[in-house]
Amino acid sequence: MPLDFKFPDVGEGTTEGTLVKWLLAEGDKVKADQPIAEIETDKAVVEIPSPKTGVILKLYGKPGEVIKVGNVLATIGDAGESAGASKPTPTQTTTVSPSKSPASLAQGSTSSSTNAILATPSTRQLARSLNVDLSRVKGTGPGGRITDEDVKNASAVSTITKSKSPSSSIPPSAPSSSYREPWESAPSASASSLPHVHPDDTVETTQGTHVVSPLAHVESTKQAWKSEGSEERIPLRGLRKTISDRMVKSMFTAVQVTHMDEVDVTALVELREKEKLKMEKKGIKLTFLPFIAKACVAALHNHPYLNASIDDSTQEVVLKKYFHVGMAVDTEDGLIVPVIRNVDQKSIVQLAQEMQDIAQKTRERRISPEDLKGSTFTITNIGSLGGVYATPVINWPEVAILGVGKIQEKPVVRAGKIVIRHMMTVSLTFDHRIIDGAQAVRFTNEILQHLEDPGLFLLDVI
Amino acid sequence: MSLQKLTDFSTYKLSILDEQGKVDEKLLPKLSNTQLVELYSHLINLHVFDEKALKLQRQGRIGTYGSCAGQEACTVGTAYAMEKQDWTFPAFREHGVFMTRGVPMVNVFQYWGGDERGSKVESDMNCFPVAIPVGSQPLHAVGCALAMRYLKKDAVAIGYFGDGATSEGDTLEAMNFAGVFQAPVVLVCQNNQFAISEPRSLQTRAETIAQKAIAFGFEGIQVDGNDVLAVYQAMKQALEKARAGKGPTLLELYTYRMGDHTTADDSTRYRNKEELETWRKRDPIVRFKTYLTAIGVLTPALEEKIMNEAVSKVERAVQAYETMPAPSPSDMFDYMYAQLTPELAEQKKNFLAHLSRVNNASSSKSGEGPGFP
Repeated sequence: MPLDFKFPDVGEGTTEGTLVKWLLAEGDKVKADQPIAEIETDKAVVEIPSPKTGVILKLYGKPGEVIKVGNVLATIGDAGESAGASKPTPTQTTTVSPSKSPASLAQGSTSSSTNAILATPSTRQLARSLNVDLSRVKGTGPGGRITDEDVKNASAVSTITKSKSPSSSIPPSAPSSSYREPWESAPSASASSLPHVHPDDTVETTQGTHVVSPLAHVESTKQAWKSEGSEERIPLRGLRKTISDRMVKSMFTAVQVTHMDEVDVTALVELREKEKLKMEKKGIKLTFLPFIAKACVAALHNHPYLNASIDDSTQEVVLKKYFHVGMAVDTEDGLIVPVIRNVDQKSIVQLAQEMQDIAQKTRERRISPEDLKGSTFTITNIGSLGGVYATPVINWPEVAILGVGKIQEKPVVRAGKIVIRHMMTVSLTFDHRIIDGAQAVRFTNEILQHLEDPGLFLLDVI
Repeated sequence: MSLQKLTDFSTYKLSILDEQGKVDEKLLPKLSNTQLVELYSHLINLHVFDEKALKLQRQGRIGTYGSCAGQEACTVGTAYAMEKQDWTFPAFREHGVFMTRGVPMVNVFQYWGGDERGSKVESDMNCFPVAIPVGSQPLHAVGCALAMRYLKKDAVAIGYFGDGATSEGDTLEAMNFAGVFQAPVVLVCQNNQFAISEPRSLQTRAETIAQKAIAFGFEGIQVDGNDVLAVYQAMKQALEKARAGKGPTLLELYTYRMGDHTTADDSTRYRNKEELETWRKRDPIVRFKTYLTAIGVLTPALEEKIMNEAVSKVERAVQAYETMPAPSPSDMFDYMYAQLTPELAEQKKNFLAHLSRVNNASSSKSGEGPGFP
């Protein structure tokens, strides 16, 4: 009897993992406890050993794919058996010892091959009244159970699909198969036929109000892929997924406004040129970044609302009395922001050394998770590859981020004459929920004063 | 005005069997060849058990598990020196204490499979269950030791904890009580160099953990925790001392956790390979095997027999564990108190009523795995 081996909770409360690679192929013989796959969870990369001796009949998923805890990973049987023979059903599939595996219990059967429809009688009733075929609905509830919401969403989709008949208002020139934003060709639909759609989903169009279910959007997108063909789908995962989640969180939480200015850093450039070689002998690469970080912290001291966060749960502004500066580092895998702690308590030389070490560690991906947490303000170098100004995205839950541009020689006017000076641009994005424009400008001005007149750093020395 | 020296202290480290399998004859414990083989079998049993448990966890057949790889000698060596009437208070990496003291292996699998009944042992086995809270075990052991003396029993209590627990107030308070009242207790610290990811160097500025006992007025000794003979010998002496009414001992078993903290940890993130390789050369089982082979006690045939027996013992225990009837969800109320408190009795009643309302209650056979600090 073939055994459907489900991906267990290999961590502690792990819900999914990414398949790194298969260690065996379909048709291979396998011994009990022999590793069959390597899977990366949020905790570690782990080897998953086979629960029994036999033959690998089927492997589910490709490297790079996300596997949910409780989904079948492999079917293992005896030679001559086929994977289909096992026909996993929610009650009989569980592998070795269903009762003893908290993971398989907690997750229930989410096996893709299950045919049974899981829904409560009241949901079934709702489906009948909305004319929804439950066998076509994917359940999102526990163990794949179909919820009332699933039925309502399915109903909304079918309503929209139906109303997109050739006789609807699609302009004849538009290729009917191409993807369009739902509101572009929207026929007016009455809200009453689409129960429980959130008001946020309502989009004003010239044709009137069209209510769009989020699912409808997804459905029509899928249609487009089918017809166009030449696209590649790359799973959003790992660092990219983390960056994506955090960017979305930031953009949907903070009200972001960017203030831009320019500063004459000629004196700073001269100072650095003068001290650079001395530092090099000590193995320290003196960049502008420690100066900029110091200038920021000097200004943050006087503008506590820029060194803050908002506690949404209590509706309080949290002013931070410590100054941990995040430093955006570009790595091969994506953007990582390690944290330099207590910048106010360190000298420029110490900062230079620390930044050098931490940037290298980050690029080599040797940075520990602890070093990526707890920043109160972030600096990002937007000019290293080119460009003048940018609109950096706040490193939530912080409330401000400073982008610095490339230092370039430019003609500027001084005492009525055109002279050549070293100029640097800055772009400060701030959270307008707690910081107003005037304050952001005052704050930026203080940073610029330090960068323009590095003698001020000396005056700050304790 | 004067500045006078009041006291002078020294801390010792005991090691008998070195990494090459050579022994210091003068320090050898009195163990017969049969006992040496038995000791070796316990180590192999534990090792095979440990490897199997890791596999079972990765197959979803038990919950989160803490491997004892590299530390086998610490638990086997100490437990082998005990008398049946002695009381043990393990933390959570002391599988070897349970099994060496005679608790069936199936119980240990049950515990790690989330079945609390695994902690229930024969009434004459003085083994307390696994206690996850860091540093609680010394308190329990000292309390038990004082109770044993009060009851005029010839039993010593043994509390196990790790290097991390030595920074806990509970551990230090327990040591203070042990010293003040000369409790018949042995406090066994498995210093495996890591409290999850926190290295020993950040745990205390003190050079050794053993010397902490000095502050409380009793003896502490560091022992090579990868040397089963030294562990046995130090434990034997500490137990005899306690039994003779001469007070407590702190044993710092200097060892290294070869695996992750638990199956929910990835130790490659916080320690380097070189260190691991250094410690691999100090493997407690390999060096004991080298020694036993050299003195002719262990032959290849005997070695194979012991290994085969261990493998089949583990397989039988796994089978027994997996065919065990499911525990009842209401069990969670039943093992804390001999008699339920009124609040718990009421909660149990409500819970049972809730269970009968939930139609699939009977299928919820297993609980969550144990939680970790």
